[in-house]
Amino acid sequence: MMKEGVIIKAISIKRQGERKHFQIRLPKDTKFIIGIEYGGRLISRSEGTVEVPAPKAKADAKLVEAIYSAIESGAVRDDKPKAFFKRNQLIGELKLQSCEEANWFYAADVFGNDANLNWGDFSQTGFPVNDFTHGNKRTEEIVKVDAESTIINGWYLDALGKSQKLDINYEIKVYVWINVEE
Amino acid sequence: MLKATKKRFDIKILVANSTVSETFELEKNIVKVHGVLVTSDKDDLLYYRGTQKIEINKEEFFPDNYESKLLMSGINVAPKQRYYDLGGVAPGNGRVQISYKDLDDGRTVFTPYRVSLYLDCEMEDEL
Repeated sequence: MMKEGVIIKAISIKRQGERKHFQIRLPKDTKFIIGIEYGGRLISRSEGTVEVPAPKAKADAKLVEAIYSAIESGAVRDDKPKAFFKRNQLIGELKLQSCEEANWFYAADVFGNDANLNWGDFSQTGFPVNDFTHGNKRTEEIVKVDAESTIINGWYLDALGKSQKLDINYEIKVYVWINVEE
Repeated sequence: MLKATKKRFDIKILVANSTVSETFELEKNIVKVHGVLVTSDKDDLLYYRGTQKIEINKEEFFPDNYESKLLMSGINVAPKQRYYDLGGVAPGNGRVQISYKDLDDGRTVFTPYRVSLYLDCEMEDEL
């Protein structure tokens, strides 16, 4: 009988632009890798670091940022600049490779909270919109990869510290969902 | 006859960076556990700081360091879809163990809070 399980790998990032290579060991009775999830935790920030994931900026910079966001996302402009969609904070890049197959079987841009969760909501004075109150249910991304060699090679590249030009100490957790033969 | 029921178990987190383990017992007439959900009276602390291990009948469903945010659902999710689907687990001895770990996160300031574990169960009518 097949049973599901999850293996957790924590990746600690301390320096801006840090690149980490890591391995995830799976149990010997693993048959398939069936899903990938990720999460993260901010451990500490250097002095003067802006809030994650919504960076504070000067008004002018905000406007420029909004215009760039709009151009990149193809958002429709409203009358006021504040009505633009905001870009989500990019935390880093994550890639995973199995020894069973060539190339990456999973590659993702790791993003922070959804910066546009409150889009179109006009009731924010009473009940502010946040990920922890209004967020969607999170589920794993489905993959199907043989796991006979029981090792996954991974690669992570920091983008948060690089974009802020600061050393930010945080932890990314990679969740590998597996099928195990009982 | 089988009917759906929801169970709630609470734990208190009083000290920052601590681990709280508790075992709860389900009623004998519960035949299946379909889903699991965690909430709190201070959602932000649970979301950013929480990780937990959950065992049912000594079988581990979520290992140590599994982040609580992955088992949370906001009010944007339809009530019937909020639970994490376990696929109808037999509760066996009915013991549910949660081992919750609070860890500092740069975005929050600790204050004591409550963590609630909800289980979506199916029970036999006692008639």
